[in-house]
Amino acid sequence: MEPINVLLIDDEEAFVTTLAERMELRGFVPRVALNGQAGLDLIEAEKPDIVILDLRMPGMSGAEVLRHIQARWSDLPVIILSGHGSEQDLAMCMDLGASLFLSKPLEIDTLLSSIKSVLKRD
Amino acid sequence: MGLITAQSMHEMQNILAIIHESAGLLGDILKVNAKVDFKHRPKMESTLGHIFSQVHRGKSLLHATSRLAHAPDDDLLESCDLAVYSTIGVQLSERMARLRGSEVAFTPPTEAQPVRTGALNVLMSVYHGLYWATSGPTHNQAVAVTVAKAGSDRIVRVTAPAAAAPDVAALDHPRLLLGPDRVVLQGRELNLVFPALT
Repeated sequence: MEPINVLLIDDEEAFVTTLAERMELRGFVPRVALNGQAGLDLIEAEKPDIVILDLRMPGMSGAEVLRHIQARWSDLPVIILSGHGSEQDLAMCMDLGASLFLSKPLEIDTLLSSIKSVLKRD
Repeated sequence: MGLITAQSMHEMQNILAIIHESAGLLGDILKVNAKVDFKHRPKMESTLGHIFSQVHRGKSLLHATSRLAHAPDDDLLESCDLAVYSTIGVQLSERMARLRGSEVAFTPPTEAQPVRTGALNVLMSVYHGLYWATSGPTHNQAVAVTVAKAGSDRIVRVTAPAAAAPDVAALDHPRLLLGPDRVVLQGRELNLVFPALT
């Protein structure tokens, strides 16, 4: 199976770098961005297979990042991974074109099987 | 209320996520080195197990507290899903019941149960129902909570332990009476009756 290139966008460095290490141990190819603009720059430089995006970030919010992604790379799937989520947040993200909304903390196997499911890979 | 408390709860979720991922990475490292002889392996694995179960416990509590905080923002002041908010009410009351000597045995409903009562009133009446059920000596027996349909009503039934003698005066609390259409006491069973939303 071809390795899956994943871009993780989250301002919590301790969380996102640890998650990236765990994904790497499982054969994924993760990159990390600590804010929305850095994430968009990384997509521009090399488009990943999928984006895992936090909702609440300083500066550009996850929703704004999602809007930019939909406008420029509409075929790029995005999974929202948030520590916060009212019903309104969930509805907004799905309306903006997110593929899935997951709450953290979550089991890494749940995240990885969700990625494979969204990308339709076994 | 959700807007005010959201920031702290978001922070707590992030903190739990960091703890969870960090413990997960330690677990991954143990697994990758499974063939290396390490005398503290069983202790590390059991300690990691404790961390994961406490993170899970914290996550459930935070989720319940977040739903409570967001109830006004989510337009749940006039009606709500009794299945969801009775579950959250029990989750947020379990510590109180434990401190008063009783565990709560709750069977969450599997179907949605919309009622013409706001989420906050459901939560308060469930809390005070459990408070009543644990107001006498419980002898470490469980309080049972179930949700049932009765015609066009939906009932949260709180059953005090067999050896208990709940304080009838605790039934006069206004928060207990604010939510349900009526409160019916039958022996050890306190029935909080809510009108279904049709």
